[in-house]
Amino acid sequence: MLVEVLSSVFNLQIVFFIIVGVFTGICIGALPGLTATMGVALVLPLTFGMDAIPGILLLIGVYVGAIYGGSISAILLRTPGTPAAAATILDGYEFSKRGESGRALGISTVSSFVGGVVSVIALWLISPQLAKLALRFSAPEFFLLAIFGLSIIASISGNSLSKGVLCGALGITLSFIGIDSITGYPRFVFNNINLLSGMSFIPVMIGLFAMSQAFTTIETIFTPDQVTQKISKVWPSKSDWKVIMRQGPISGVIGTIIGIIPGAGAEIGAFVSYGQAKKTSRHPELFGTGIPEGIAAPEAGNNGVTGGALIPMLTMGVPGDAVAAILIGALTVQGLQPGPLLFTEHTTLVYSIFLGMFIANITVLVLGLSSLKLFVKVLSVPKSILTPMIFVLCVVGSYAINTNFFDVGVMLFFGIVGYFMQKADVSVSPAVLGLILGPMAESNFRRALLMSEGSYSIFFSSPIAWIFLLLTIVTLLGPTIGEMARKKRQS
Amino acid sequence: MKKANFVVSGIFAAFALAIIIIAKGYPPSNHGVPGPGMFPIIIAVLILVSALVLFIKTLKMPVTSDTKIDLKSRSILNVYISMGGLILYTALLPTIGFVTSTSVMLSLYIKWFSHRPWWKTILIAVLFTLGIYLLFGTVLNVPMRFGIIF
Repeated sequence: MLVEVLSSVFNLQIVFFIIVGVFTGICIGALPGLTATMGVALVLPLTFGMDAIPGILLLIGVYVGAIYGGSISAILLRTPGTPAAAATILDGYEFSKRGESGRALGISTVSSFVGGVVSVIALWLISPQLAKLALRFSAPEFFLLAIFGLSIIASISGNSLSKGVLCGALGITLSFIGIDSITGYPRFVFNNINLLSGMSFIPVMIGLFAMSQAFTTIETIFTPDQVTQKISKVWPSKSDWKVIMRQGPISGVIGTIIGIIPGAGAEIGAFVSYGQAKKTSRHPELFGTGIPEGIAAPEAGNNGVTGGALIPMLTMGVPGDAVAAILIGALTVQGLQPGPLLFTEHTTLVYSIFLGMFIANITVLVLGLSSLKLFVKVLSVPKSILTPMIFVLCVVGSYAINTNFFDVGVMLFFGIVGYFMQKADVSVSPAVLGLILGPMAESNFRRALLMSEGSYSIFFSSPIAWIFLLLTIVTLLGPTIGEMARKKRQS
Repeated sequence: MKKANFVVSGIFAAFALAIIIIAKGYPPSNHGVPGPGMFPIIIAVLILVSALVLFIKTLKMPVTSDTKIDLKSRSILNVYISMGGLILYTALLPTIGFVTSTSVMLSLYIKWFSHRPWWKTILIAVLFTLGIYLLFGTVLNVPMRFGIIF
């Protein structure tokens, strides 16, 4: 198998796609307003005609590159290219103010590489074991796993829990559309033949993540683009290397753990890593003044999320973040079902993804240290031209999946809905979690009851089921108990 | 934000009621195994409860913590116009054809957003459209030839 994996990844075509993916990802990530999720959603249609391995690795390249690329504009323009780079601004821009933007970008590049590699190692070590465990799951366990995944919405929704739940439930509701998989009964189709096979979720995602973001960009379309500054001395100094090698692996592990939690993305990974570095530092007061730790921690943390997010996605079909959700769509288009069986039936693909992700991180390091000046030039691409082009890519991308204009309408509808949801401070990520986990929860719930002939005791019949039940209770009650404890301490 | 929260809770509550009404007409449970309407009704109830919680929380929200959502300024109007233009474009796309309608749409948007000379605008629009047409139509084999023009 090792030979198969090596020969499938180390061929010119695959390495080319990874490099193209990373390059595209860095450009997308560097441009404020274009997120990693948007980038992966826009590139996804290009993979429909490809084989599974190059297609998935192209998308992973975009993902890894975009998460890193966000730091370029965060450091140079004080505007995060992607939300994942928001924490990098705190110290990164201070470097630029001192005229040391090259040094900051160098630290960011190497830290992103370290964090990414740590996450790939974790992906490599944890995923096969988790997949083995998941092979023992049957319908009740998968139902409870989906419920646990959905309960995460409660903890990631922050101040607007009810809005998060509403959005998650909206996603689940969309998954009901089409012929019921158990009884064959058509649900919510309203005599529309296009709805019989269900709501194609890729146009929904392109609408929610790419089109809505393009609409948001129009609000500032007539604001002049910021002037970028020149950079020099990108290669980190000896002292900076020491900081990166000390902080990078720790933040990489933190990012990986956060990535594993369904729904928690790179933004949270970066902020938690930054917080941890500050808390454990001997000089926490220096954070925010432009110190290397302030860049190394969030950058290793956000790239750490990339590998972590793929762990539940590949092993159980549960997305670690929004990009992982799109990757589920990409695998499904290729006729592959993410889950434990992927590890037994498509072993070469799985290990090619691991190896390809490792190469993607090396590409980030090489491109980041050698071509930063080129990526900085990308920042001068006017959004007045880029935004209409994104419109076209959204339209063509949603049309290409089924060569169906109905999907274009769906994409545009959800683009408009997503824009107004952002206006009303409703995060769209729970909708994606609901859209993917909803059918998993429903079908396994009903299958479990079929197995037990209607007895609900089947959901309490195995230790794994109990673990998921307890995890769900802790996730749901955790924030409330924490809040109560905080209030008690204050009073 | 208060007003927006009320609107959000109202829309979702109405949405949930519609789901319940429709799902009630679906076949019932059979030998303890839930029918196709059970899960939609559970989720609709969850939506109703969450919408109610959002409504009550917003009612209790202090006036000082209320923030205004901009839905009428010039920049937002630009978004609405863009949305309208895209709806028109997607409606005409199957009839007119990809290359013509996309070149026109791109030209108009780029001209509006960037005020570049017409010749540059049209050149960018046509080249990008042809690039996408060739990439999807030729390389990825997506049928891009449709419509009465091209």
